[in-house]
Amino acid sequence: MEAHNRDLYLYERLNARVLGVSMDDVITNKYFAQSLELEFPLISNVLPWMGKAYGTYSEKPPFRPDGSPNWFGRRTVIIDKQGIVRYMKDGSPDNKEILMFLLKLEKEFQGK
Amino acid sequence: MKKINKEESVERKMRAVWSFATWGVLLVFIGVLSFGCATIAPEKPKVLTATDRGIVVFLDKYEFKRPPEDWALMKNLEGGDFELGFLMFERGEFPSQTTFIYDDQPYGGSRDLEKRAEYYCTRFLFNSGMDVRVKKQENLTINGREAIALSLEGENPNRKEKTKSKVYLVRKGNRIISFVCTQWRPLNTAFSQEPFDHFEAFVQSFKFLKKDFYEEIEEKIRELKG
Repeated sequence: MEAHNRDLYLYERLNARVLGVSMDDVITNKYFAQSLELEFPLISNVLPWMGKAYGTYSEKPPFRPDGSPNWFGRRTVIIDKQGIVRYMKDGSPDNKEILMFLLKLEKEFQGK
Repeated sequence: MKKINKEESVERKMRAVWSFATWGVLLVFIGVLSFGCATIAPEKPKVLTATDRGIVVFLDKYEFKRPPEDWALMKNLEGGDFELGFLMFERGEFPSQTTFIYDDQPYGGSRDLEKRAEYYCTRFLFNSGMDVRVKKQENLTINGREAIALSLEGENPNRKEKTKSKVYLVRKGNRIISFVCTQWRPLNTAFSQEPFDHFEAFVQSFKFLKKDFYEEIEEKIRELKG
């Protein structure tokens, strides 16, 4: 999260926007964003349809039998201007790799 | 004595020639493979190269004055929490050690030096359980670059440990980089100055030998946008 925050000015120049998605509720996300001074929006997705849609949550129910939430794993997804998923990686990504990928996409978009 | 006719003799000679040829080809093949392996296997890059100016070159990226040989080099060649650093285990009870690092991605996202310093202090040694306080903060320049120096000290009475740190947050182009030195001691032991002197020499002599990743990508974006 912090790394994305650091690289926001570069994302902007590469015509990319960042959205964070979490299963936490809105208030928790708000305080989390404040504590890390995040300058991009976080989406609260308590019933994790986004996790399911992007494959981080397949075959898992949203709650365990004891009632605790069944968190989905961290995954980084890059969606292009046509809405096509172009990049997907689990875990904490190397932001340099993401920036290089965005540069490639921007070149592609500009036909260079 | 068995009489060998002409055809049998030719056949035997052919077999010998084939056998020799097969072994020859195999030997050449093995030779090529071995030679190939020797040349294809990547050579490990020499991380630190000494120069006659009393400094060392780290890969082909940075040069700086390194601490004495008994300091161990810590490096991250494939990304990680910091770029490079040195570690020294000192005499005395655990934890008696000092580390210093160059980190190109210090805590925080703000590109404003003052704001970054303020946020940095909320995260620094956070996971160690240390109660860290800023003893001194000053604005200065490091090798011509705008910087903030932070002197911090922390204690963890439960673990009977204390720390003393010096942090430089330095503006480099559009980003902020850092140099960080932290000394760990048992609560009842005094801090020592010598490791900090090595850190200061490291920071003051630190030079960038080529553009870093961010400078390069910014250049590529500029080219792309015209």
